[in-house]
Amino acid sequence: MAERELMYREALREAIDEEMGLNPSVFIIGEGIAERGGSYKVTEGLLAKYGPKRVRDTPIAEAGMIGVGVGAAIAGARPIVEILYVDFAMLGMDMIVNQAAKFRLMTGGDGRVPFIMRTQGGTGGGVAAQHSQSLEALFYHIPGLRVVMPSTPADAKGLLKYALRQDDPVMFLEHKHLYMTKGMVPDGEHIVEFGKGDIKRVGTDVTVIAWSNMIPRTLEAAEELARQGISVEVIDPRTLVPLDREMIVNSVLKTRRCVIVQEANRRGGVASDIASIVQEECFYEMDAPVEIVAGMDIPVPFNLTLEKASVPQKDDVVAAVRRSLHLDPFAEAAE
Amino acid sequence: MAEAILVPQVGQDLTEAKVVELHVKLGDQVKKGDLVAVVESEKASFEVEAFCEGTVISLPWQVGDTATVLEPLMHVGAPGETVAEAARSAAAEPAVVPAVAPAAQPEAAQVAQAEPLVAKVATGVVNAALRASPIARRVAAGQGLDLARIAGSGPKGAVVLKDVAALAVGGAPTTGGGALELRTLQAGQGTPVVFIHGFGADLSSWRPLVARIGLGSPMMALDLPGHGGSRGHGAADFAGLVGAVGQTLRGLQGSVHLVGHSLGAAVAVALTQRGDLDVRSLTLIAPAGLGASVDGAFVEGFLGAKSEAALAAWMRRLVSDPATLAPVLVRATLAAREDADLVPAQSRVARGVFEGSTQLFSAAAALRSYQGPCTVIAGRDDAIVPLREIEAALPGHVALHRLDRVGHLPQVEAADLVQTLIARTVRSAG
Repeated sequence: MAERELMYREALREAIDEEMGLNPSVFIIGEGIAERGGSYKVTEGLLAKYGPKRVRDTPIAEAGMIGVGVGAAIAGARPIVEILYVDFAMLGMDMIVNQAAKFRLMTGGDGRVPFIMRTQGGTGGGVAAQHSQSLEALFYHIPGLRVVMPSTPADAKGLLKYALRQDDPVMFLEHKHLYMTKGMVPDGEHIVEFGKGDIKRVGTDVTVIAWSNMIPRTLEAAEELARQGISVEVIDPRTLVPLDREMIVNSVLKTRRCVIVQEANRRGGVASDIASIVQEECFYEMDAPVEIVAGMDIPVPFNLTLEKASVPQKDDVVAAVRRSLHLDPFAEAAE
Repeated sequence: MAEAILVPQVGQDLTEAKVVELHVKLGDQVKKGDLVAVVESEKASFEVEAFCEGTVISLPWQVGDTATVLEPLMHVGAPGETVAEAARSAAAEPAVVPAVAPAAQPEAAQVAQAEPLVAKVATGVVNAALRASPIARRVAAGQGLDLARIAGSGPKGAVVLKDVAALAVGGAPTTGGGALELRTLQAGQGTPVVFIHGFGADLSSWRPLVARIGLGSPMMALDLPGHGGSRGHGAADFAGLVGAVGQTLRGLQGSVHLVGHSLGAAVAVALTQRGDLDVRSLTLIAPAGLGASVDGAFVEGFLGAKSEAALAAWMRRLVSDPATLAPVLVRATLAAREDADLVPAQSRVARGVFEGSTQLFSAAAALRSYQGPCTVIAGRDDAIVPLREIEAALPGHVALHRLDRVGHLPQVEAADLVQTLIARTVRSAG
């Protein structure tokens, strides 16, 4: 199939544009998303095309925006609420956790909440502790929410289109470092179902599971490891809820070694939960303990050098893979 | 040489345990796995099993005694041997001991000698702090290797897979080097068609069918671990089978069409999930791995049958009309069992994939995500893997052919139709 090269932000825009064109109940609200086209230029041009009723600027009032979104979704619309930083989604946690996530169950399945919160997280360029967090674990923990973390333009487009066609609340977590990255996106209808992981690189020696901005970093590490004669399989679950357990387990059964990379700080993170699944399913097949490479358990520092030191870098992934093969983690680097 | 069975550590930080039951007395014969004693702490009791075979030659503690943990609870050795002699003979034992059983093949024995097999615990006592990865433990147990005598290359001396694999007879299960028997039954051009037999069969069972298929493709068949020419391969659970077959087929460097029967069909489906194998089409004959049931009595009876009459009685369950079961098939199965290793090897696989009448594996999810052409052929009278369970598990995009008056062997009972369907499926993949 034919494909084009797009930036992550352009792929997201295509998804919103196509779905708004197909479904009049889709609308988008957020800070600076209409006139300015969004801080990351995802919504550029949509105001002119769909008008101010469907593409709407809001005041700086995240609790209100999320409340509007959840309410509109319950009433039958398909709202996208863009929150500038995932850190600010904390203002709307009651609506997300106590209302959106619970409504379907508490109405016996009669009520559905097709609410999409698009936001972005992660470190990138020294924006300090309140604008750098990776908070997927908070949403991952809450039954009833879908948690989506695309790493490539194609996945971003396909997953957002799928999100706009399913009926549950979706935490669509983009990454500030990925908006300008490029990748090939298939022409025409391109949909990526939730719960289907993607093998970003096929390998035989060690399975590395990563998501969001840790995918490009892990692929760089895999390149370096390949030069050392180590074959790494890189698995991107793409959606953390639902999680493609089968793909993860099958890969670990094949390689017998597992490394999980997350940008979020380690304590209580998604990596720990995936590690528990892997040990439960694969323990007797494994040749090394599961390695987790994660951020430090500290607020992300403002200073760029410290920021970099606080989250996983390529060399951390390389070292963890080598440890899981019982090799000296730094031997090759020293040569 | 005498071996000590130790008082187990029944809880963290505990140094003593009370002996509450002794199931042996001096001079008793014990074998591996026998319950020899029960000891308890304030919080828990612990059953002690013999890990080796021999005669009980010392028994320092009585029921009611408080014993020191990790001290000998008893010694097991040769009749008449004393513990003092055992200690002396242990001291005289060379530092390097062969870790491979006497039955080892010559190459394996050479490998064993070349490896630094330092006997870390000269008496062969089970070292409570022995470090080994789970897969290394499993492979070692399957190969009869004593982990305590293997020099580990992992962290803090842990024994890891590669240490054990280097010593394993016939290659470690499901790891590199353990290629399965793979034969070309008919030469040809293009993408090969690979046939995977079911439980208890081997690659030669496909010969009559392959001779009928009018395709120009190369026709190949392999022996699953524990079967035929791969009987020495130690893989003994479903993931192990799939890993071993995947490893073997990877050598073909490219695409394959897969035809599988029963257990082999489930393996074929699971292979579609490996990133390194391009499966162009699937033909599944009486597939296992879709439902939960299997005829456990058949598996047990089939493995246990020693005479032609008994084997024929069980094999008749495979077919709808007993007349279609050629006596030659029964005799060939029996003749293959003249190799004494075959039935134990098949039993090991059976224990790994079936539990009574339950299949311990599933290929249903893999089949749902397979997008290539797939044909399923099953008999309405299948007594081994029930048709209704196959039907229930099939996704909508898979074609099912239900054959009247056919049992678990459609490739024998309806060979013409089966060969037509295989050819059609292979051609449809282009």
